[in-house]
Amino acid sequence: MKEKWNFILYLVWFSYLILSAVLMFGQGFLLSRKTLSDVSECVPLKSFGCDGHQNSSVKVPCSDDNKIRRILSNSGSPIICAPKKNKVALILVDALRYDFTEYDESNASPLYYQNRLPVIRKTVDKWPNRARVFRFMADPPTTTLQRVKALVTGSLPTFIDMSANFAAMEIQEDNVIDQIVKQGNKAVLLGDDTWARLMPARWHRSHALYSFHTWDLDTVDNEVDSKIYDELKKSDWDILVAHYLGVDHAGHRYGPNHPEMARKLKETNARLERFIEMLPPDVILYVIGDHGMTETDSQEWKKSDGDHGGESKAERTAALFAYCSTGFAGDEADRQIGREVQQTDLASTLSAALGRPPPAPSLGNLLLPVLPNMPVAHTLLHLSNNLKQVTQYLVRYGEESQQISLDRLAQLINATRTQIGLAAGVETEADLRIYISDVRNLMDKVRGAFREVWVEFDSLSMLRALLLLLLAVFFNWIITEGIPVERIPHVFASSFVPSGLVSVAVCIGLCYTAYYLEILENVEHAIILSTGLVSGAITCVLVVMHWDGITQRWSEGRAQFYDRFARTALFASAVILVSNSYIIEEGATLSYLTLSVLGVIVWNVRTVKSFLLWAAFGGVMVLTRSYRGCREEQGDCWTAGEGSTTGNASRAALVLALGSVAAVIAIARRHVEWRGYGIVIAGIFACAHWAVGWGSLGSPSRSRMLARGAWLVIATMFVLLWRKDGRGATMPLVVSGLLFYLANTLVLGAAFAPTAGLALLSGFIALNVVPILKTEGSTKFSLATRCNSSMACLWALLASYHFYGTGHHATLGHVRWAAVFHAGDPNYTSFGTPISVVLMFIYLFGMPLMFGATVPLLALWGSKGASALGPRTQLAAVFSICLKFALCFAIRVFACALSATIHCRHLMIWGVFTPKLLFEVGSCFAALLGALIGAILTMWHIPSQVRSS
Amino acid sequence: MFSLNNHLELRRVTITSLVTCIYLPSIVTVISYKGLLYSVGNASSFYVLVLIFVAELMKSFYLNSSNEFQVKKKSKNRASEVMKSIVFLLGVVFCFFIAIILFGAPVLDHHDGTLLLSSLLTLLTIFPLIAHTGVESAMQLLFGVKIFSRDTIIAMLVNNALMTVCGAWLGAVVIPLDWNTPWQQWPIPCYLGAIGGYLLSNVLTVSKVTLMSASNKYPALNFFVNVINRLHMSK
Repeated sequence: MKEKWNFILYLVWFSYLILSAVLMFGQGFLLSRKTLSDVSECVPLKSFGCDGHQNSSVKVPCSDDNKIRRILSNSGSPIICAPKKNKVALILVDALRYDFTEYDESNASPLYYQNRLPVIRKTVDKWPNRARVFRFMADPPTTTLQRVKALVTGSLPTFIDMSANFAAMEIQEDNVIDQIVKQGNKAVLLGDDTWARLMPARWHRSHALYSFHTWDLDTVDNEVDSKIYDELKKSDWDILVAHYLGVDHAGHRYGPNHPEMARKLKETNARLERFIEMLPPDVILYVIGDHGMTETDSQEWKKSDGDHGGESKAERTAALFAYCSTGFAGDEADRQIGREVQQTDLASTLSAALGRPPPAPSLGNLLLPVLPNMPVAHTLLHLSNNLKQVTQYLVRYGEESQQISLDRLAQLINATRTQIGLAAGVETEADLRIYISDVRNLMDKVRGAFREVWVEFDSLSMLRALLLLLLAVFFNWIITEGIPVERIPHVFASSFVPSGLVSVAVCIGLCYTAYYLEILENVEHAIILSTGLVSGAITCVLVVMHWDGITQRWSEGRAQFYDRFARTALFASAVILVSNSYIIEEGATLSYLTLSVLGVIVWNVRTVKSFLLWAAFGGVMVLTRSYRGCREEQGDCWTAGEGSTTGNASRAALVLALGSVAAVIAIARRHVEWRGYGIVIAGIFACAHWAVGWGSLGSPSRSRMLARGAWLVIATMFVLLWRKDGRGATMPLVVSGLLFYLANTLVLGAAFAPTAGLALLSGFIALNVVPILKTEGSTKFSLATRCNSSMACLWALLASYHFYGTGHHATLGHVRWAAVFHAGDPNYTSFGTPISVVLMFIYLFGMPLMFGATVPLLALWGSKGASALGPRTQLAAVFSICLKFALCFAIRVFACALSATIHCRHLMIWGVFTPKLLFEVGSCFAALLGALIGAILTMWHIPSQVRSS
Repeated sequence: MFSLNNHLELRRVTITSLVTCIYLPSIVTVISYKGLLYSVGNASSFYVLVLIFVAELMKSFYLNSSNEFQVKKKSKNRASEVMKSIVFLLGVVFCFFIAIILFGAPVLDHHDGTLLLSSLLTLLTIFPLIAHTGVESAMQLLFGVKIFSRDTIIAMLVNNALMTVCGAWLGAVVIPLDWNTPWQQWPIPCYLGAIGGYLLSNVLTVSKVTLMSASNKYPALNFFVNVINRLHMSK
């Protein structure tokens, strides 16, 4: 029985391989940025004395210019509020690509998107001083949400802007709108509700429209039009934001080269003409596109036309058109049409125009050519404000995060400080011009440094991680599918697992040595890579050594049809993860596939009993359907209000919850002997917890105490599971399943507790289908049937489905945090964080955990199961089914990672694919952990002496 | 599965399959030209089912015409047989209806569409079997008590049934996609998928018989016969 613990060690080893590869992938893929809560402050010019110090005793009056000069020469001075204030109308035309704004008279047959905005060229020609048109370069990801974030904060958005409140959509950082509102000025919003969701409760007046339906070209635009002309006449606002969506939607639906696009652009042209005509003199008009769109290929129809999200030049090149009736600063060179400017620059420019300091996280440079003409001293003041703010940000970011190396940061900070000091020496226009270009170069350097860590994926480690995943999955697949079951005990009794683990340990040791000797820089990646490769090589050697057995098994005959079908279904469930619509509807898809797999198995048996079991299973799946959540992309269901589930249970839900738990414990307790008492007590505690805490008459404190009691009983029972009674592993496994069920009901709360019961029931029905599978005579073959991959695939599909079946969805905004607090706030205890992490983990991934822990039952369940056989055979069967189950989840994770790599610049990458990857990794981890618990339980309880059977 | 020994049966199989290959595409073409293709889920398109019913009935009369001189039944017996078949068919329609809902069709609405789909599936799968062999044999076949793989006609009918169900199953694949096309409405993809599967099965039968006869002369064609044999559902 040497192989007993080798099985466990091998499962641990496999889990390590999968999880380490996923970790490596995540480090390369999940771009993260630390969100700082700092807010830029400025000191009004009035509070400075003429000597350039705050609250100085010198009371001699002097001109602003002199005062600014003095302040500039004092390099330690804070940011100063700029004196001149304008108003700004910011018109965002979604997806306004730069070449839409070009006008070429000689073009006799323009395409549908060419020459449609003549007003821009006409204005620039007519008043070269008053109008500017530039290329407005966006950074990837070029999706509207990320772009709006970037425009208002002046920063480079990433997927995870790490901050205190991770789930909410609201911007947590300082931004232009906050700066304006803080000053007591008014902001008005018209159009797309992305703005309202990012910055709620900041608007003086807002008319935001839900705009998810990308096939509607006109509603939002017409609504904005109906309001904007009145708003332009009013004078109570300081910034007016209007967001037009029509062009973007036309691009998504038809592509740029389509008559609809011409119509939308013509409408935009008419609007701009009217704006320019009626613009009050103190208002600066900025018309910007947040991103471009992909080129159309007019020869053939392609799905990707007119989309955006990626980093191609066409998607990144938007347009910026500025108009001010009093005239802009800048000379011929600045005025040049089509110069490239960065989108990050808009935030600091807007702030300067409105007389506010740049927002704290801004990395932008001032766009002087689109600011009104002003004296040299004022220009210098703005420039030095900007530099001071960037310096502060560099210092603060260095304190909070180690993403950028300290040397690099220190170098940049020194450079900006020096530049601030130089401002005092600028006297003439010529000096100023040189100074401006110096500042621009410096700011480009700063942006570049941050861009490297925030915007660029680490594709090398992503590809390495994919390779490692593929290696692990491929060789383990061959081992589970190829090596005959009867050989497995011999393989694992040999020195295969110990030698593998020793070589992994040697790898880790070598990497640490190399790190100690400073040959290696990134010790973590080196360890993951080397151990993964070594493990791949060792499993490869194993496969080569047993090649005769593998070929023999494969040549003996193909698997049953239902077996092949189940594998295909699992493969299909992984493949569809590359399509966003299937991810959105994954709950329905998984239930469809599970039912199909079970249906084919039942068709193989074809008895009335099996058909009835299938129907019952389907009925359970239908019942879980009503608990499935909604996500925003599922239009109808979301707008019907089903998406926002409240934590409070209705009376009917409470009765259902109590009834389901009572039924489960009433039925289960008779069959699990003395362990039944523990189950009953825990169940009663859980029921009392809901009943006492329900409604306005409930007592929350007592309810929490009861929940704690339930957890205590569950934990005690879990410890008691390890008491050996020498009667096989089936009973402890069943009890562990029941305990996980109770834990799930507790964290799910009364409203969703019945889903856990339904999941348990569906698993039970599936278990009962297993023994009626046709077995061809002898026990040897029956064992091969019991642990074939169709069962593992079915079980994995079921476990994945019940993630959705218990009301979850793979979106970050959908996560309810109430589960952490049902037994009181754990943050008051000494182990607050681990407890809340564990509760959250069970809440989200309790189903894969429960199904993982009960996987060995597939081999052991029933009178004809493996439990009647000798312990060695039992162990081999359990190990093989556990590994297959784990492999199913590994395959799904691999597919998720692959699809995230393929789509890494897709429009929906942050909304759909990345959350799916995160949740799938969580499920995989839970399944691996559960399978491990199940396997250890089995190994522990199976008697070790060899019976003569 | 098919053998060239029984020429009479083989001819019947070929001719019925050919007839199907002609009438089913014509029905689909006509309704799509009339612009009614996307309304097959409405109760108003019941006539399509009636057309298919009549066609299948004719086919089964043709298939059975030889058996009549073997088994002469009394007309009374015949009537009760018909009644039994109708009841059985209704039961099958109900089973299909339940199964489709379990697979994920809407529970509370679109009942007419689901019902039409289940009737279509019954018409294309179980109905020809019953018309050919009678209720008892069909049930035996369904529960795998007897195996009829020797009988060319029954083999063809079972093949058709399996391909039809597979077609309907595959049709559901396009429903979740976000293309917002009119043919993604429930139950159009499954409906058309079922028809497509049935048609494909018939086309395969015809081509296989043709190839088998031709391969007597040109043995090289046996390769294609084997390919088609693999495509046919093996149970």
